[in-house]
Amino acid sequence: MTDIDVMQANVAAVAADDEFAAPTRTLWQRSEATVLGTGGVLALLVAWEVLPHIVKISEGTKLFFTTPSQVVGTLWNMFATGTIWTPLGVSASGFALGLGIAIAIALPLGVVIGRSATLNAMFDPFITAFNATPRLVFLPLVMLWFGLGLEAKVVIVVIGAMFPLLINTYEGVRNADKVLINVVRSFGANEWDIARLVVLPNSLPYIVSGLRLAIGRAVLGVVVAEFFGSEEGVGVMMVKAAGRYQVDVVFSGLIIFTVLSLLMTGLVKIGEDRLTRWRPQHASEF
Amino acid sequence: MTDEPAPRLTFVDKNRKVLLGCLAVALFFAAWQAVFLFVPFNPLFISKPSLIADGLVSLLSSGSLPEDLRVSAVPFVYGFIAAVIVGVPIGIVMGWRVRVGYALDPLMTVLYASPLVALAPLVVVFFGVGVPAKALLIFALAVFPFIFNAYVGVRAVDRLLINVVRSLGGSEMDLYMKVIVPSVLPYIVAGARIAIGRALVGVLVGEFFAASEGIGFAIARYGDLFALDKMFACILVVMIVAVIFTEGIRWAERTAFPWRVGQ
Repeated sequence: MTDIDVMQANVAAVAADDEFAAPTRTLWQRSEATVLGTGGVLALLVAWEVLPHIVKISEGTKLFFTTPSQVVGTLWNMFATGTIWTPLGVSASGFALGLGIAIAIALPLGVVIGRSATLNAMFDPFITAFNATPRLVFLPLVMLWFGLGLEAKVVIVVIGAMFPLLINTYEGVRNADKVLINVVRSFGANEWDIARLVVLPNSLPYIVSGLRLAIGRAVLGVVVAEFFGSEEGVGVMMVKAAGRYQVDVVFSGLIIFTVLSLLMTGLVKIGEDRLTRWRPQHASEF
Repeated sequence: MTDEPAPRLTFVDKNRKVLLGCLAVALFFAAWQAVFLFVPFNPLFISKPSLIADGLVSLLSSGSLPEDLRVSAVPFVYGFIAAVIVGVPIGIVMGWRVRVGYALDPLMTVLYASPLVALAPLVVVFFGVGVPAKALLIFALAVFPFIFNAYVGVRAVDRLLINVVRSLGGSEMDLYMKVIVPSVLPYIVAGARIAIGRALVGVLVGEFFAASEGIGFAIARYGDLFALDKMFACILVVMIVAVIFTEGIRWAERTAFPWRVGQ
């Protein structure tokens, strides 16, 4: 065999190795993140579950302690017996109404502020101030004005969810392509056409990321509104449970709110993918 | 306001924006004050700027407002410092060791997304109404922005720059001082800006829930007493503090990391 033959054989062998080796490696690499991520969560849950079996917990502390299995059992019971539906319905309606109103206010206002430099300058101090302030500070005032019912909750959710949406909308509107606006205008479009044809589609990624923030804020709004001034809802259930040392119920409530938050954010992501299919890949990255 | 063709001087534009902003704020307060010339004024339902100013002065001169702020600041400082000390190293390790990042990322995401404020009743039951409970709440809310921003910051370090420093004979120290710290620090400071907002939420939740002093407690109590002028004054103070913190950090970001402006 000549040297060249050996070399070719080696190259072929290496290539063959690569062909066989590559898929298994990428499979592991692709699944590594998922496996390790799931492992991390599972490890925490298992550690939490076995903790009372390893460490002797005094009777007093046991009152404040719960395990994941207990929490899951409690959650299951809540859904099986149907006791969760009334508070969940109350919380969800407050969330949905508040978020809906926040969108209805923030989107048009954001477009208008984004299109007008004067209005932008005039609204800016208020938006900065309200966005920096934890909206929670208005809770006692809102309760004073609107009482303990649905209205107070909706108002809290609205002022919580409105500002991320408003700010992202006007950032998006301001970054809309000036050339496109001029083109549409040259063809005789009015301000409404500009908003509909250029500004809104172009600011969609901004609006969507604002919407994701707003969902988190809205869930937070529901939680705090129900903690301090409501008669019904998942948050009320949690406060009452904490008072009775039913720690498993508190964690069940936390899980419900988290799932609600993640679920809504996931829906927004799906909606975004559908609405931005026309967009070239690189442009949809915000 | 004259409608001249816009002079292309940036400082004029800037002044115009600031002036318009001041004008809008002044108009807002004037309108608030003036509306009660036409609408009957009910001090149990709403206040007006002149009364709020009086309330603010009386709160300041009696020393109760500074005292409330001081009481609230203590757990805030503890919780926030703890969040930095714990959050930044966790984030850096998550960014440095890819597998640690994989393992902790979902867990942290879920915890970040969950309304941890919801644990406030539990924290109060565990730790009572004092500084530890509030500090813990603040820590729990403020730690995640630090973790995530440090994590993202480390991952965003430009490999090319590291290789350049190495090829040009830079020491490990150079690597840290010239590449890693300058690229991670802006992320951490941006995280601090988010964390401050969340920490303020922690202060307020803790104090609304169970406290006997502090600015959050003051707001809730004046609300219960229908002392709306003092309540508005306290709300205004919280807003001012929040704006000073956030805009202060924003200013610091612009001044200290000019290469990050626009990101």
